[in-house]
Amino acid sequence: MSEAASSEVTQVAAATSSQDPEVGLAAVAALRGLVEVLEALQVENARAKGWSWQQIAAHLGVTKQAVHHKYAGRRFGFRR
Amino acid sequence: MAQCSAHADRVLDLARAEADRFGHRYLGPEHLVLGVLRDGRSGACGVLEAHGGDLAAARAALGRLVDRGLVPQPRPSDAELLGMLGVDLEAIRRTTEQTFGDKAVGWAVREATRARGRGVGRVPRTPLREPPMLISQVLVHAGEQARALDVGMIGPELLLWGVVTDIRTLWPRCMNNRWRRQLHASVGLPAGYRGAAGPLLGALGVDLEELAAAVVAELRAGVS
Repeated sequence: MSEAASSEVTQVAAATSSQDPEVGLAAVAALRGLVEVLEALQVENARAKGWSWQQIAAHLGVTKQAVHHKYAGRRFGFRR
Repeated sequence: MAQCSAHADRVLDLARAEADRFGHRYLGPEHLVLGVLRDGRSGACGVLEAHGGDLAAARAALGRLVDRGLVPQPRPSDAELLGMLGVDLEAIRRTTEQTFGDKAVGWAVREATRARGRGVGRVPRTPLREPPMLISQVLVHAGEQARALDVGMIGPELLLWGVVTDIRTLWPRCMNNRWRRQLHASVGLPAGYRGAAGPLLGALGVDLEELAAAVVAELRAGVS
């Protein structure tokens, strides 16, 4: 592992195990807010390229039912 | 709905700067009061100052509201929080917008954050957008008054009118829902937050009835 990567891992560990739960949890919530948007973008992109729910679920590491429950009914296909 | 004038936009920018100064990660009516006072160039500021408003005193009063728990303690920004995790928010924002375009990112933000019945994987807000503006009722009241006066743009006076009317009006029931409670909690606001402009103006000794009458007079003078 490079020195930079090692330093990054140390930072992650420091924040996620912060002694102050208010800071640690807020950091996790911010990360979650970021991940949800990135996931929606990638799922929409995959659907636009003809991927099946099964394929998307496999790549996200969740069941097909889980990804379908979360995204089915969302208005995919915005105008680029 | 009527749009904000350039002057009102400036007041909103100053209000954001005041929120940032307090480490508040939202924009509330209390910050609008500070924004109007800091701008200092509008009839709204003149009216506020004539009724006991003063920027230094208002900042001190908001500081006391923090101590009373009516508004949050200073919190790190999303960029700072994510920076602690080794995540460069600006780099992600830039890369995502370059790859997918503004429109797609805007769509994904709305999809991830919009209130929906099932509540699966929903987040109240995302670091990819500015801190939430919790002044929707202020803007509704300002817009209604703009229509009543047949004014095309919302200026600082109408913003102040919106703040005063918001204080004196009960929030509609639709404003109290799980999504909004989650949003408020995510920026550290106490349960039951309905804006803190009322306690702020109260601490400054401002009489709301007199202030409302003076703002209406200022608005009518501006129209005629």
